[in-house]
Formats: sequence, structure tokens, C-alpha cells
Amino acid sequence: MFNSRFEWAIIFLIVLLLGGAWIIESRESNIEPQNFLLTEAPLVGHLAPDFTAQTIDYETFALSEYVDREGENGRPVVLNFWASWCGPCRMEMPAFERASLKFADRAAILGVNQAESAETIERFAQTTAVTYPLLIDEDQNINYKYAVTNLPTTIFVDAQGVIREVFVGTMNQAVLENKINALLEE
Amino acid sequence: MYPAINFGPLVLPTAPFIILIGVWVCLVLAERVAGRLGLDAVIMSGLVTTGIIAGFIGARLTFVFLYWPAYQNNLLGILWPINSGFNVWGGIFFGAAAMFFYGRGKQIPTAPYLDALAPVLVTGLMFFSLADFLGGPGFGTFTHMPWGIESYDMSRHPVQLYEIAVGALALLAWWYFQNRHLFEGQLFLITTVVYGFGRLFVDAYRENTWIAPGGWHGLQILSLLAVLAALFLLMRGSQNAKAAST
Repeated sequence: MFNSRFEWAIIFLIVLLLGGAWIIESRESNIEPQNFLLTEAPLVGHLAPDFTAQTIDYETFALSEYVDREGENGRPVVLNFWASWCGPCRMEMPAFERASLKFADRAAILGVNQAESAETIERFAQTTAVTYPLLIDEDQNINYKYAVTNLPTTIFVDAQGVIREVFVGTMNQAVLENKINALLEE
Repeated sequence: MYPAINFGPLVLPTAPFIILIGVWVCLVLAERVAGRLGLDAVIMSGLVTTGIIAGFIGARLTFVFLYWPAYQNNLLGILWPINSGFNVWGGIFFGAAAMFFYGRGKQIPTAPYLDALAPVLVTGLMFFSLADFLGGPGFGTFTHMPWGIESYDMSRHPVQLYEIAVGALALLAWWYFQNRHLFEGQLFLITTVVYGFGRLFVDAYRENTWIAPGGWHGLQILSLLAVLAALFLLMRGSQNAKAAST
């Protein structure tokens, strides 16, 4: 490779200068809260991507109906991504059902299905006592917007429409209620 | 892009499926590379298997530790569902530690096995990038370049494909130097330099990267440190090898 210490020193220096310059160039300069530009992205701290979807009862739900990006008239939204074949999703559904009844008019709980047909969701719904809206997302538009790869995934959106937490895995009643309470107390 | 693949009523999550293929490819590659470098293929295979299993368990346990309130009243939840909830850094730490102790237990020479591990690790990382591209949460910064891909309603850099290209370059460097290296460990160090420098470059185009305090890209700083350390060791190794041959 290189023969002398001098050649090695030159390479070392070039890498240090190029790498250092690129790191400085790539530095995010606008991360201070007052300069933070809120854009829609499936990330904590960003605006939750808006969507419109139907339930199996042909009701239409839009995220923007619940949150209020400009004012203070919104309410927190919990998006629970699930599928009928996903055992853990079914396991945590009673917790979401109880929470939806407990926080009825203060927070919205929406179950967003992953990739299954309306008929499958309907068949599943008939076997459970779930009353919160189960949204159809057969073409996975919402799942894609929120970059959901694992089920169950639960996303907590505050009243202003900002994603506060992305929770992957099953959730128990206490944790779920704590997180909703935290959003309500803000 | 494609979080799940539908086979009739069966829904296959893309990212775990790609990673599973990656595990298989890495195991096959480990045996072949060991043979090519004249190492014990069984030990090499055991080393990689140990790393993968420990990494998998470590990633899961780290996730459980970080989200303990969700598990403290549901201990069964730690074991199931096993297809969700992993922490990458925990996986790397536990995987590396397990391979270290496996190597110590088998009393294998570190440098030649690191040479053999290099292409396996890079291939594994390439599969992670592919899984992230097809069904993962990662996405690039905005771009007007013609090769930008439509992601979250905007044209973005296909940053995971850049990462795969960097991995391919590192593999190419390993391949080129495999019959030309002067000392044991050199192949691992060269691969680290190429892959590390490449990741340092492409991380600038990742939107959801790890941002350290002050707005610095944490992965870029780690990459630069790794590259500089590898270059220093390459210099020391080359000079020692030359001194020994004269």
C-alpha cells in the first residue's frame, strides 16, 4: 500500500479533512425548537401525516378532524396498527377498548388495520366486542405513511397533531392510560 | 415502500423476511470465506451463529429494558410477540460481546477471523439496508435529482440504496486485497475504512438519522473515528510487516 510514514500522514490528513468538512457540512443547524420546521413525517416530534379512511360501517375518518394544528380545539389521537392474524394485537385490544370508553370524548382511539380486506375485518369484528373505529387500509396507505413494519405498533399523537411516541409491541392497560393521561395533561 | 407482501390470505412482513434471508446468506458466506482464507469453517460458522443469536436476544432484552413499564405486568410479553420490539445498539453490543467470548473460548487467533468476518458483517449490513428500503422506517432527505424516489409524498434520496452501494464497494475492496494483503487483520481494516468512509458520506442524506447534541450526525462522527483508527492500525501493521520481511 503506502510506503513511508509521510504517505500515511498525507492519507490520514486527507481523510480527516474530507470527513470533518463533510460532517460540518451535514450538521443540522436548525434543530433549536424555535427554528424547528414541522413537516409531516412518521417521526416523533414531526406532524402526524394526515389521512382519510373508512370503517367497515362505511363511516369516514380523517386525522385532521381530531387534531387542531393551528389552535387548541383538537384532542389526542391514539393510532393502533393491527391485523386479525396478529395474536398480540388481539391480546391488547381489550385494553384499547377499555381506554376508548374511559377517555370517550377526550381522546380518540383508532384501530388501523394492515392490508386486510373489509370482509376479513368485519368477520373479525363480529367475534370481538370492540366498539372503537376499525379503519380499513387494504392498500396500506396509512401503514406506509407511518412506516409501520411491526405489529402491533401504537402511535400517540397530541392534540396539535404532533407525534409524541411510537410504541412497538404489546401494551398493557396501565401503560396505555398513563400515556393518554400524559397527552391530556399537556 | 412495501411493508408487507401479500400471498393470498397470508401477509408476510417484508423487513423481517429480508433479514431472515440475510441471516442465511451470512451463514453460507461465513463458511465459504473461511474456506477461502484457510480457516476452520465450523468455528467460523459457530462464531457467526453465536453473534446472530446473541445479537437477536440482546436487541430484544435491551428493548424490554427501555420499555420496562410495558412488560412489568406482562412478563410473557418479553417472549411473545418475538417479531416486534428490538434495539439495534443492544443487538450490536451483545452480538459483538458474544463473538468475543466465543473466540476466547475456542482460542482462535483474532486477526485472521476478523478478516473473514469483514465481508460477512458488510453483507449483513447490506441486508439490513435492503430491509429498511423495502419495508423499514428509514427514508432520505428531499432531492430534485432524477434518481430520487417517491417517499412520503416527496422525492427523496434512496439513502438505503446508497448504503448498499457503499457495502458493495467495501466487498469489492476486500475481494481485491484478499490475495494481496501483507498482514493478518489488514482485510478487516481495509473493509472498515471503505465502509466507514462511505457511511460517513451517505449518512448526510438520511432524514431519520441519529442527531447528537449540537445537530451533529452521531453516525458520521462514529464512522470517522472508526476510519481514523483503522487507518492508524493499517499503518502500524504495514510497517511491522515490512520490518519483519527485511
